[in-house]
Order: sequence, then structure tokens, then C-alpha cells
Amino acid sequence: MSFWRRRRREADLEEEVRSHLEMAARESVERGETAKKAEQAARREFGNVELVKETARDARGWRWMEDIVEDARYGLRRMRKSPGFTAIAVLTLALGIGANTAIFSLVNGILLVSLPYPNPERLVSVTGTYPKGAFVAMREQMRTMDVGAYAEGHEFNLTGLEEPVRLTGTLVSAQLFSILGARPELGRTFYPGEDVPGQDNLVILSHALWAEKFGGNPSILGQSIELEGKSRQVVGVMPAEFRFPSPKTQVWLPLHNDPRNTILYWADDFMPVLGRLRPGSTMEQARTELRMFQSHVGALFPWPMPAAWNADASVVPLQNGMVADVRTRLLLLLGAVALVLMIACSNVANLTLSRAATREKEIGIRSALGAGRMRITRQLLTESVLQAILGGSLGLLFAKEGLALLKLVLPPDTPRLADVQMDWRVLAFTGGLAILTGLIFGFAPALHSSRAALTGALKSGSRGTTGRVSQRLRGSLAIAQVAFAMMLVIAAGLLIRSFWTLSHVDPGFRSEHVLSARVAPNQSFCGGAARCLTFYRNLLDQVRTSPAVAGTALVNTLPLGGRVAKRSLDVENYAPAAGQDLSPLFWLHVVTPDYFRVMGVPLLSGRTFVDADVSGEPVAIVTAATARRFWPNQNAVGKHIHLLDDKSWRTIVGVIADVRAYDLQRNIPSWMSGTAYVPYNSSATLEDRRMPSEMTIVIRSTSDEAQTTAMLREAVASLSHEVPVSEVKTMGAVVSDSVSTPRSTTILFAAFAGLALTLGIIGIYGVLSFLVSNRTQEIGIRMALGAQRRDVLRSVMGEGAKLSLAGIGLGMAGALALMRVLSGELYGVAATDPLTFCSVAILVAIVAMTACYVPARRAMKVDPMVALRYE
Amino acid sequence: MGEKTVGEKRERYQNRIEILQGTLDLLILQTLQWGPQHGYGISVAIRNRSGELLQVDTGSLYPALHRLEKQKWIKAEWRISENKQRAKFYQLTAAGKKQLTRERSKWSQLSDAIAGVLQPEE
Repeated sequence: MSFWRRRRREADLEEEVRSHLEMAARESVERGETAKKAEQAARREFGNVELVKETARDARGWRWMEDIVEDARYGLRRMRKSPGFTAIAVLTLALGIGANTAIFSLVNGILLVSLPYPNPERLVSVTGTYPKGAFVAMREQMRTMDVGAYAEGHEFNLTGLEEPVRLTGTLVSAQLFSILGARPELGRTFYPGEDVPGQDNLVILSHALWAEKFGGNPSILGQSIELEGKSRQVVGVMPAEFRFPSPKTQVWLPLHNDPRNTILYWADDFMPVLGRLRPGSTMEQARTELRMFQSHVGALFPWPMPAAWNADASVVPLQNGMVADVRTRLLLLLGAVALVLMIACSNVANLTLSRAATREKEIGIRSALGAGRMRITRQLLTESVLQAILGGSLGLLFAKEGLALLKLVLPPDTPRLADVQMDWRVLAFTGGLAILTGLIFGFAPALHSSRAALTGALKSGSRGTTGRVSQRLRGSLAIAQVAFAMMLVIAAGLLIRSFWTLSHVDPGFRSEHVLSARVAPNQSFCGGAARCLTFYRNLLDQVRTSPAVAGTALVNTLPLGGRVAKRSLDVENYAPAAGQDLSPLFWLHVVTPDYFRVMGVPLLSGRTFVDADVSGEPVAIVTAATARRFWPNQNAVGKHIHLLDDKSWRTIVGVIADVRAYDLQRNIPSWMSGTAYVPYNSSATLEDRRMPSEMTIVIRSTSDEAQTTAMLREAVASLSHEVPVSEVKTMGAVVSDSVSTPRSTTILFAAFAGLALTLGIIGIYGVLSFLVSNRTQEIGIRMALGAQRRDVLRSVMGEGAKLSLAGIGLGMAGALALMRVLSGELYGVAATDPLTFCSVAILVAIVAMTACYVPARRAMKVDPMVALRYE
Repeated sequence: MGEKTVGEKRERYQNRIEILQGTLDLLILQTLQWGPQHGYGISVAIRNRSGELLQVDTGSLYPALHRLEKQKWIKAEWRISENKQRAKFYQLTAAGKKQLTRERSKWSQLSDAIAGVLQPEE
């Protein structure tokens, strides 16, 4: 009942009583008494006004509310009286609730909170990616939605400031901003039609870039800035909260939709497409329309497209589309912390139970005085909930810290991570969780104690039936704790093993003492290939002569560096299976001759590049897996490949070991067929038929990172003031960054498992300690009758072993049933890996038995004389 | 121990309600059968109709009225009394009329039974 309604009723009742008194008084006056006497008489007759009101309130049914307040007051008083118990219980709950709140904040911020755009439910994502040409066709044909496309991860040199800066930008179709409904902080977004050649010399800045490089000066609007040697007019600045598609984006440029450039238009960027449903259209209609579009878009391409291309394209809510990758991982984490909370609950339930034993008398007295079983149960539950609410409040503080920590541990490219914060939904979740937690862990003890009250706790020293029931309940709780902890430790064990395997994968190169950095002149600077090549040759010469440098080379895409370079090519004697591309898509590494030596990539057969290859006969090198795939049981050396539109076929001169270039698990992404290396010269072109102009330099050096970096910057600056040096990283850091996602999952699971195991062990320890102190008398009698200390130890340890083994067994069964959900996160280890299961079982058993040993020793040391006098 | 005493007193009141409950409910419902009436009016009516024999304890009357209202056997409304005074008038609902019939037959059974027990043996 709401507070206000209650207040109104109270006033109502008051007035009713007053009117009664007045009527009674008036009647007395009419009978001839003085007004004052009459009133007094009426009041006397009425009785205690407050009591009448109180009983009337009871009849109304708001008694329960006062009871709760009373119970809470009583509970608080009891908690103050036993600060130790309260502290442990509240802390345990705070850990459990705090961990849950922190992870829920992530789930909330990433999966639940709707996108920060108007009518986000109308925003959709088209699964599949499209080149500019296909996108433009879609934009013209779709009737159910307005679509926009974006290409993330482009880089631009910003020059004209003190020193050149490398910016990360996103190319967007002109309507993308208006489809999202995003408003600029300053100026405007792009108008329709501004993504075609001649109209597209525009740029929009991010708030951060504007503040950092342009002093937050609004006069930047309308001015031009130099990007890649081309001047572009600044038309707008986006607000800081606009982080589409990711916080990395510093500038937005219009797409350059130029149908005359067939390759760029149809083959270069395959872009994600999003859309806004038009009024009256449904997602289902959009799906149907997309399927129709998909059935004929292939024919628009200037070359045959494989039937499988985007065959399963569909339309999904944009929010799902953006966070699809992290969803499973987040839900896994939520599951893990839920288990931790369960353990915390059973732990506190156990604590409460052992305290209930000491409260049996108090409860007995209360029930003898007429408190019903319901009433006692409710009072005990109120206490539990009160503890949980305290735990929840403390947990909220933990969660705040934990969330900050989580943001550090999680990979920075986690979508929407920057938006995550603790909002009202998180608070509601925590509040609800605290109350639920209190009810869950309070329920069994409360029910149990109230029953105990009925079975005559007043009989002093009754340790009979209730003791045994309580012991059984406590035992089951301890078993549950061990089982839950076991499951989490197994999960953590699997992830650790998987991560260990992953970090011991041979990447195919030697990362020690190698520094890498992106050195990228403007595209316009590299307009003439010769100029570009000269710049790089001079750079290599200069770096090579520097002391401590053992070797240096250039590559267009660094392994594990997060970039791929596509190239369609013809393979000699290759007969593609039906439906497969005639010219398979390769990952083309463009390198200078020393590359393999600097990176320590082993040569398997043939030779590596030599300086003469740069200007000599066209050559190429392939990896072992590529050689196996295209020339099984043959020597690939001497075979030929042909980059489409290249002048001549290239001879394969060598086969190198596989390099984990895409990630540590895969050499190439699944949509590519092979890997080839070609020497860096003007005929080494990528899918856009252009020679790569942005290269990464790798330097093998014995001097430290800082020195090498300074040397490199100096060398670049001496050659050009317009070329920025960015992404300076040791190869070790590149490798380590490439596993940041599995690492963060592993760290979090390990932390939760550690927490779970600690709580679980405390649980077993608590149960046994209680058992021993409860059985002191019995043990004393046994020893007086001739039992050996060894027997006592064995008996207590046996009790502990029974609980632990039951928990371990149940935990293993549970893990077997559940670990399948983890398989997506595992590498090189099965979700039911027997080795992990067994070693975790042994580990948990050892830890549990150690925890049992402490109370068992205490039991062994029982002095029979003391024990018999006990009580 | 201040709370305890209040609690106990409250307990006593409730016991009295327990004893009177069935009868008092019947009396209230019966009184309201003649038309809407406020709490004071009900107590006066019961007193008068019982020949001043039955004194309705106000401490029982109001809780009983609120309980009956909660059961939806009567409904309440603020009106101006014949003495131009604001008072809460209670009125019998349809459910209340049925309840009255039930209570009456229960009461006559009870009083017959008690009369039967009390009748001197022949």
C-alpha cells in the first residue's frame, strides 16, 4: 500500500473518531450536562482513541507494514550485538552482489540500454557486407528502409599542423548521420549527394580531435584541413557522446562513390550496411525485400559473383548487430558471477544456521509467548533481507570499483564499453538482487528454525532431532558450494589451458627484439610510385646504418596487426570446385627482401627474396598451407600465380612456414584462400590495383624500444616533415594485444573461480568446525571409552571427505552438462577435457581436505575430561 | 519494555473482538438493513433496540466496521448528518445482504442449539 494512501486513511479514521466523539458529546449536552463533562464522558466511553485506531488499522490490513518496521528494528539491534557475524555475512554477500552488479552493468550498458539515437527500435543492421556499387544499388531500390554504409578503420595523415598526425577515420554514406538521427555539436552533417566525386571534399571532426588539435575553436567550420595531402572543408563537429561506429573514429569522410572506377566501386571496401525502417514497414518486410534484392544484385557486378556471397544476409535490429560478438562472452560472465552469488548465499545460509542453533532458546521463548510460526519465519527472513540489503549497498561500492577495473581488463575495442555506466536499471537490479538474495539464503534457516521452535527447544540441551536435521541441511549447503565452486574452477581451468595453448602457439615468426611502426606518407605523395619507393628505400638505408640495428624491412600488413590486404589472383593449374571463385582471394603481403630474415620466418624450400627481385623477373613466395592447398603433393617452387590485371605471371621461388597473420588461431580469415608474398615494387598491387603506400617498418635491434623509436622518428623527420610515425609497438606487444579478448575472459573467470573456491572452502570449514564443536561431548565419551586420536581424526576427516567428494562429483557432472557453452571461447582444448576435469577435482579435493584438517585436529586434541564436563 | 505493554493491551482488545466478532458483525449488518448509518448511530441503534442491554464497545465497533468494509459487505461514504455534521455513513452492499441472511440463520441455529442444551431434562 502506498505511503500516501495510508496517510489519507489515517486522517480519515481520525476524523471518523472525532465525529463520533462530537455526536456523543452533543447528545450528552442535550441531556443537560456541561459541554466539558460531556466531552470527557464521551471520551471515556469511547476508550483509548489511539488503541481503537490501532486495532482498526489492524483490521484494515496494514499491520504487516508495522511488523516489518518492527522486525527490521529488532534485526538491526541483533546485528549490532554480533558485529563479527554480521561483518562476515555482509562482506560475503557484498562480494557476491558486487560482482554481479559490475557484470550486470556491462550487460546493461552493452546489451540492454538502447542505442543513443532517436527511435532506436527502427534501426536495423543488414548482415553481410557490400561494396560501394552494391550498396548504392540497395539504397536506390529498397522501399522498406533507408540504408547507409560505413567503412571503418581508414587512416589519414593530417598535415599543416606543427607535426603530421595519423588519424583514424570512417567513410560514411552521405545519409548515414540522418539515418541514425545523430545531430552535430557544431555545423552540419553530410547532405544527400555529398558522397560522389567532386562533392565529397568534406570532413566532420570528432569532438576529441576538435578540442585537441584545433583548440575547440568554432571558427574551424568552413575552413579546410589537409588530409592525405588533399584539402577538405570542415562542415561539422560531432558531440563527444557520438561514437559511431567506435570511439576510435576521429574523422568522418563521405564515401567516394565513383562508378567509373570499376575496381574501387565493386571490389575494394566491403562495407557493413545499416538502415532505418521507413514508417509503416516492418523488419519482416525489410527481410523479404532484402532477399529479393540479394537474388539479383549479383548480376550488377562486372564479374560473376559466387552464389554463396551474402546468401544468408538478413535484417536484424542494429543493436544486436553491433554487439553480436560480445553477447555470448558477457552472458558467460554473468553466469559465472551468478554461481559466485549462489555460493555466497549458501555460505551465509550456513552461517545463519549455525547461529540459529544458538538462537533456538530465544525462538522457543518467543513461540511459547504466542508468536506463530509464520511470524517467526517472517522475522528471521526480515533479518536476512536486512543483511542482504547492507551487503547490497556495500556491493554497490565494490561494483563501482569493479566496473572501473573491468573497463581496464576488457579489450578496449569492446563495442559500447565507453558508454557503460551504472544507471537506474543497475540500481534496480542490485536492489532486487539483494532482496532476492536475502530471501534465498534466509529461507532455509528461517523455516528450519521456526520448526525447531515447535519441537520444543525449551527442553534444555536438546541436540536431538533438530541438530541432526540442521547438520544435514548444512551438509547439503556445503556440498552445493563445493559443486558450484568446482564448476567455476573447471571453467577457469579450461580457459587457462586454452589461453596457455594459445600463447604458446608458434606464430611463425620471432617477435623478440623486433620493433614495428606504421610509417605512411600521404596517398598523393605516393601518387607516383617511384617517389614513394625512393622515400622508403632511403628510410631503410638510414635505419639500417644506425648502430645496434641487425636488420630492417617493410611490410604492408603486419602479422597480428589487425589489417588484411586482399588480392584476387589466378593460380596455375587450379580447378575450382563448383560455386567457388575462379580467381581465389589471397592475402597479399608486400615486403622488402629482408623481411623474412628480420621477422625470423623460416624458409621451408626454395629461396627468399633478394634485392635483384625488386626490379628483376616477377616472383612470389607462398606459405606452407597455401602450397599444400593448391599444389598438394607437389613442390610449389617453380609454379606460377598471376595477380589479376598484372602484366605477367609470377614464379614462386620459395615456400615459407605458416605465419599466424590473422590471429593466433588462424593464418588467414575464413573468406580467404591463401597467402602470398611479393617484393615491394610498382607492380605489387592490391585489390584496388594500387601499390600499397602505407607500410609498416620492422626493425630488429639490440637497443631498447625508446632508443629505437627515437632513432626511427629522427630518420623519418630527416626525410620528410609530412610523414607521421604511428603505432610504435614491439612485436611482443603486437602478439600480446592480439589475444586481449581471450586473456580478459580468462582473467575474469580465474578471479571468479578463486573467489568461488575461497567461499566454498570456507563453507566446508564452517560445517566441520560446527560439527566438531557440537560433538565435543560425544568425542570425549568415545575417547574415554578407548577411541584413539587417530580414529577421531579419521572420523571427522571422513565426514569432510564425504561432503567434498559429493560436491566434487556433482560439480563435475554439472560442468560436463554446462561446459559446452564455453566451447566457443576455447582453443586447442575440448570443453570436456579430461585432464582439466581431473586436475581440478584433485586440486579442489586437496584444498578441501586441508580445510577439513584444521577442525579435525581440534577434534583430535579434545581432552576427554574437559569434554565430559562440557555443558 | 514499553512496546510489550502496548502489544499486550492490543492483544486484550483483539480477544474481545474475537468473542464478540460473530455477534457484533450480525448486529451491525442487521442495523444497516434499515438504511445507511454512521458509527455513532449504529451504536445508539443497537443500544436502543436491545433495551439498553447491549453496550457496543467503540473499541470493537470501528475495527469491526473497517473489517466488514474490507470484506465488501458494507461500503462507506462521507455525508452530512441530520445535525449538519460531517460523518462517515456505512451502507449494506448486495454481498452484505447475503451475508446477513447467512449470519441470521447461523445465529438461529446456534441459539436453538444452546436453548436445547439449556432446556431442563424431562
